[in-house]
Amino acid sequence: MKKYFTKAYEWLDERLDLTSLSHFIEKKYVPVHAHSIWYYFGGVSLFFFLIQVLTGILLLFYYKGSADLAFESIQFIMSKVEFGWLIRSIHAWAANLFILSVFIHMFSVFFEKSYRKPRELTWVTGVFLFFMTLAFGFSGYLLPWNKLAFFATKVGTDIAGNVPIVGQIMKGFLRGGDDVTGATLSRFFGFHVALFPGIFTILLVIHIVMVQRQGMSEPMELEGRPEETKKSMPFFPNFMLRDLLLWLLVLNVLAILAVFFPADLGEKADPFSSAPAGIKPEWYFLFMFQTLKYIPGKIFIMDGELLGIVLFGAAGLLWLLVPFWDTQSSKGLINKKINYLGLFAVGFIIVLTILGWVA
Amino acid sequence: MKKIMLLTIPILFVYFYPAVVFAADDQCYTCHSALEDKESKLFKEDIHFKKGISCNGCHGGDKSSEDNDVAMSKEKGFIGVPKGDKITEVCAKCHASEKMMKSFGSKLPVNQYDNLINSVHGKSSTVSGSRIVNCTTCHTAHGIKSVNDPLSPVYATNIPMTCSKCHGDAAYMRTYNPGLAVDQYTKYLTSVHGTLNSKGDPKPAQCASCHGSHDIKPVKDIKSKVYPVNIPATCSKCHSDKEYMAQYKIPTDQFEKYARSVHGKALLEKNDPGAPACNSCHGNHGAAPPGVESISQVCGTCHALNADLFSQSPHKLAFEKKGYPECETCHGNHEIVTATNKMLGVDKDAVCSKCHQDQNSNGYKSAFMMRSLIDSLDNTKQSAMVLINEAEQKGMEVSDAKFKLRDINQVKLETRTQVHSFDAKKFKDIVDKGLVISADATADAKQAIHEYYFRRVGLGVSVFLISLLAFGLFLYLRKIEKK
Repeated sequence: MKKYFTKAYEWLDERLDLTSLSHFIEKKYVPVHAHSIWYYFGGVSLFFFLIQVLTGILLLFYYKGSADLAFESIQFIMSKVEFGWLIRSIHAWAANLFILSVFIHMFSVFFEKSYRKPRELTWVTGVFLFFMTLAFGFSGYLLPWNKLAFFATKVGTDIAGNVPIVGQIMKGFLRGGDDVTGATLSRFFGFHVALFPGIFTILLVIHIVMVQRQGMSEPMELEGRPEETKKSMPFFPNFMLRDLLLWLLVLNVLAILAVFFPADLGEKADPFSSAPAGIKPEWYFLFMFQTLKYIPGKIFIMDGELLGIVLFGAAGLLWLLVPFWDTQSSKGLINKKINYLGLFAVGFIIVLTILGWVA
Repeated sequence: MKKIMLLTIPILFVYFYPAVVFAADDQCYTCHSALEDKESKLFKEDIHFKKGISCNGCHGGDKSSEDNDVAMSKEKGFIGVPKGDKITEVCAKCHASEKMMKSFGSKLPVNQYDNLINSVHGKSSTVSGSRIVNCTTCHTAHGIKSVNDPLSPVYATNIPMTCSKCHGDAAYMRTYNPGLAVDQYTKYLTSVHGTLNSKGDPKPAQCASCHGSHDIKPVKDIKSKVYPVNIPATCSKCHSDKEYMAQYKIPTDQFEKYARSVHGKALLEKNDPGAPACNSCHGNHGAAPPGVESISQVCGTCHALNADLFSQSPHKLAFEKKGYPECETCHGNHEIVTATNKMLGVDKDAVCSKCHQDQNSNGYKSAFMMRSLIDSLDNTKQSAMVLINEAEQKGMEVSDAKFKLRDINQVKLETRTQVHSFDAKKFKDIVDKGLVISADATADAKQAIHEYYFRRVGLGVSVFLISLLAFGLFLYLRKIEKK
């Protein structure tokens, strides 16, 4: 048996030069230090993405993306399809945990200043990936075509309509008309299962290739120390197996959540009914939603909601471009302001999310 | 007698004094009465003339001038014969002014003008372009009498005829509302109200009692007194007034009872304009209590299947022989409540037991059987519901089973209809259909509960296996990292 494997490997090696790849993996080391734990969140995010792809494909076998059939098809998945309830519940829970994991990964990279030279572009692709996960969440939320999703999408696209200059065009494009209708569902379905996965996969490949090419970033305080004083572990098999161990634990958590708290379906969307009281977006948009609620209707001559959207847009742009304006970190200098800014952002998101939750 | 004469003379003097005085100074009236024209003859009996208002009150001009050219000059405000909407505006000059009306000692309301222009009659006429109805259309001109004067066209006993002048004219009404019937007056004369009214009794309802006078709205207008949800209140204004109704010797608790009934709740609480109001059973213009024979026809207007089944049932003949009012015998009249299982069967509360008391009779046996069947359907539905709720509380998807429960409700509805055939076999066939659905829903719910426990066991096994794999991996990692 071993003889056949060796022969197959040699055949492939002759054509694909696998030896150089295995040399690359063998030489790859991961730094070991007090903050090494944060390295795992990139892998956990990847694991969630893979689960989403797998469960998403399974759901596609039965899901029907039209206003007349979407709700009923999910009802069918939940009650008639063998393990359909499990697949949908895992898809729903993994979506939330995916976004949470991406949040943690992004902030850990931010606090470690791992975006500094030469990893500026890795950060930029990462932030784009973060935006994509939010877009996945927003587009996927409407697909069950239930009352809550319908009105949340209405509110969400209304907010998008307030973006200066392009707002109304963007709103019309997202809705596929003046209002949220079956046309909106069709295009959200298209975004969710074709457009976004395509863009996400390209960005993800670029992101991972860059991480592999540049290796894991070391904390700033370790830079400049003699190599022999630094600890590290081989990427293969040690780090990969540790990753796998964490993935198994995460899978357990997912299974428990899916069984004990299966995804709810609610009532079918009815465009002629009134919006349910106290409608809120998903938790990952709650901090922005709550902030917009606190901003007064008019601030001087400017519309309050418009100002809020402009500020969030500016904050997103600043966040994306951190490596280019935080020049101190790239020079190896400690920049405490960045830490304070990060802490403020985390505090702001947590507090506003809690306020939105209890409101 | 002498004393009476002595008292009467000053009273008559006080009453006619203004007219006498005004007539003396009133050159308009003096000339026109000398001409013996129709207007002046009529005006002599007009309430306005008696209150001292002269021709110039409406037509303008100077009543003190003997010169025609001066008296009827534009400079003196003469407007000639007011036409169209101008008529109502002339009347409104006084009738819409509280101060003016007080000056004549009148207690008449001053909102007639506003009411009229906002009423259905205040709309533009298709023929003249002015309002459909102006004051003189109903009250006439020059010979206007008090509404309490039996000679007035708007006195209670004259109103039906006054209204029917237009509303009974098919050609005229076609130009405004071709869909509106023109036989109201004919029907009214056949009604209890109309019969009494035509005998000279001003108390029974006539057109204005229900539709209003100046403020008449179209029936479809929610503000109309005869809009379906307003009808019970309109009728009860008289019919709930014990004092007013005393002389007619009929009960005055109909509204109270109706409000408690299933029809009343639908109309008055749920504001369902399709629910039956008083007129649905009694008629409107031809209102009368339905006779014993016509009750099932009246109820059958809406409850067609029930009426049909009843008319083919053995009860039809039996009730006819005994002179029992059909539907009313079991359901009552104004206070018809939602039919429950309790009405059926041989218990003391059941309506069947009022007649079917012989335990060996077919009627008794059928009633007993039908009650048992409907109770068993209710019981199975109840237990299915408990199981479905339990499964739902456990987070299971049971929409199919819940849908089946709705089918059972449909079956129950069918039994409610079928009971009117009083055929226990047909009744059983329908109940059996419900029992099958109920068993199906119960099986679904049990399956969902079983699935719930299966999921937990499955989770336990999966978590154990994954944990085992993770533990193995952990041990392997420890081993390779020790090296």
